[in-house]
Amino acid sequence: MVALGSSTTAGSGDRAGDKSYPAVLEAELRRRLPGAEIKVINKGVGGQSAYDMLLRMEADVVAEKPAVVIWQTAITEAIRDIGEEKLAKILRKGIGISRAAGIDMILMDLPWLPREGRYPHYDDYRAVMRKTAQEQGVALFPRYAMMKGWSSSRQFTPEELVGMDGLHLVDAGYRCMALRLADGIVAGVGTIKIETAGGRAKPTN
Amino acid sequence: MSSIASFRHFLLFGRPADGAVRLEKVRDARIDVLRGLALMIIFINHMPGNVVAAYMPHNFGFSDAADIFVLLAGVSAALAYGGLIEQRGLALAALKLGGRLWTLYIAHIAVFIIVCGVVATAVTQTQNPLYIETINIQPFFRDTVEALIGALTLTYQPSYLDILPLYIVLLALFPAIYAGVRASPLGTLLCSLAIWQAALAFELNLPNGEAGWFFNPFAWQVVFTLGIVIGRGALLGVGLPRLRWLDVGAVTFIVLAWWAKTSTGNPTGIGALNDWFDSVQLGSDKTNLAWSRLLHIAALSWLAIRWLPAGSAMGRHAFGRAFAAAGRNSLHVFCVGIVLSIIGQIVLAETSFAPGVQLLICAGGVTFLTGLGIFLSWYQIITNRGASAEPTAGRGAALPRPSLSLR
Repeated sequence: MVALGSSTTAGSGDRAGDKSYPAVLEAELRRRLPGAEIKVINKGVGGQSAYDMLLRMEADVVAEKPAVVIWQTAITEAIRDIGEEKLAKILRKGIGISRAAGIDMILMDLPWLPREGRYPHYDDYRAVMRKTAQEQGVALFPRYAMMKGWSSSRQFTPEELVGMDGLHLVDAGYRCMALRLADGIVAGVGTIKIETAGGRAKPTN
Repeated sequence: MSSIASFRHFLLFGRPADGAVRLEKVRDARIDVLRGLALMIIFINHMPGNVVAAYMPHNFGFSDAADIFVLLAGVSAALAYGGLIEQRGLALAALKLGGRLWTLYIAHIAVFIIVCGVVATAVTQTQNPLYIETINIQPFFRDTVEALIGALTLTYQPSYLDILPLYIVLLALFPAIYAGVRASPLGTLLCSLAIWQAALAFELNLPNGEAGWFFNPFAWQVVFTLGIVIGRGALLGVGLPRLRWLDVGAVTFIVLAWWAKTSTGNPTGIGALNDWFDSVQLGSDKTNLAWSRLLHIAALSWLAIRWLPAGSAMGRHAFGRAFAAAGRNSLHVFCVGIVLSIIGQIVLAETSFAPGVQLLICAGGVTFLTGLGIFLSWYQIITNRGASAEPTAGRGAALPRPSLSLR
């Protein structure tokens, strides 16, 4: 798998203990699907827009020949309000590239924000992602809904969720996100892979 | 000899046809005014999502203020250091260039630290994690030591802090490029294009964290080299020939770019062009430059040199004077502009992009930045006046300050 994205994907950049979501996802999938050969390549580059990622999709995704690509994107476009139609087009092109290469894509929804009124068009851009994913038939990982659920469930301190102090960027949040992704992926490939894994895949949290 | 032959001779051999190298004393107001204007555009564009940014040139053509900035950096480097090389020799010019590079480097580091501080304050005060994302400053908070070393070695560049490193590298290359342009502008341009294309083919770029530099120096040296050729031409007083077909070609290209950028989808209906229209409308490859960008900036410069009134005419108008003052102090105005634009981004988000606030910030910022330029120009005049009063007593009449001096 390739995890294409911006800083959420790049994660800590901390070499000692990589707690980025792709690293956690890899460990988790290996645990749940012991027979399967699993590798999650982190291609996150902080601060990149969907357009920047589109430009490197051939080199960073297609050339790696993954089975699945998780595309975490569009936050820059939403913040910069580049135009909804433009974002839709960029997403469609990216999805098209991965489809042409026979790679399944999981698109990742925008994060939930404590005060998203700061960006008046934020929901519109989320709608663009939802609509594009739907019309293109790719999975959309419901990051926003998940984070929102966490925020109201008070399982996490706000700092853990969105890293508001800027210093401890969301290791807990990333970890849970990776586990949820693993749930989805295992469910998706389950019928094929779990047999080889001896049916020992158990949902964890 | 016709101007075409003379121009051709310059392009091939780096000097006018009659062989005489007369150095013109050039302080072309056009450069200052355009540079000041580019600085203001950069300021506005660095607050993405604001209404004014929708009217900035990148929406109407392939190139934008960054191209103008790099091109003019080449022009003014040729005028300043090229002139110095001709008059005082390479050694002195290299010394001055080294001093300038040091100043740029220190400025970059200072802006880096100030921006980190501004964003850190904003994030802790407002609890909005996205400020870290937009400026890509996460590495600094995550692993400060590594990010600091990265900043010092120019291998970690947060968003918006990527132009000065490019400028530093390009200016360091100036003596080599200028030597080439002296021998043959056309040959140097071809070399420069070849390096760009080779870098594209082999995916060469300098490192910036996990990715490359936002402005790939292997690509952007082309624009800088073009600027040096123009500057060298100005230094030698080479006039552009009146080539009507080229004028028409340049205007046509710019109109075409306008049309391609502002229409939605592919207005020609020719299927083969779909991808091209998409690619120019979605954004242009700023990292590696693009032919469309290069041709656009080349066409703009041709028209600017041909038609913009030379000399001081542009600097006479009140707006022209204000922009020229900013352009003459471009490093200061640029650095302050970067910090202001990042503060502006934060204020815009905190006020939910209220239209009134957007206009206020844009107008206020531009006023402040031009005011800063005017203040610095005034400051230089009064301090120079004071300084020249004493030493000139023993040396007779005050020598005119070398017009090619550095700022």
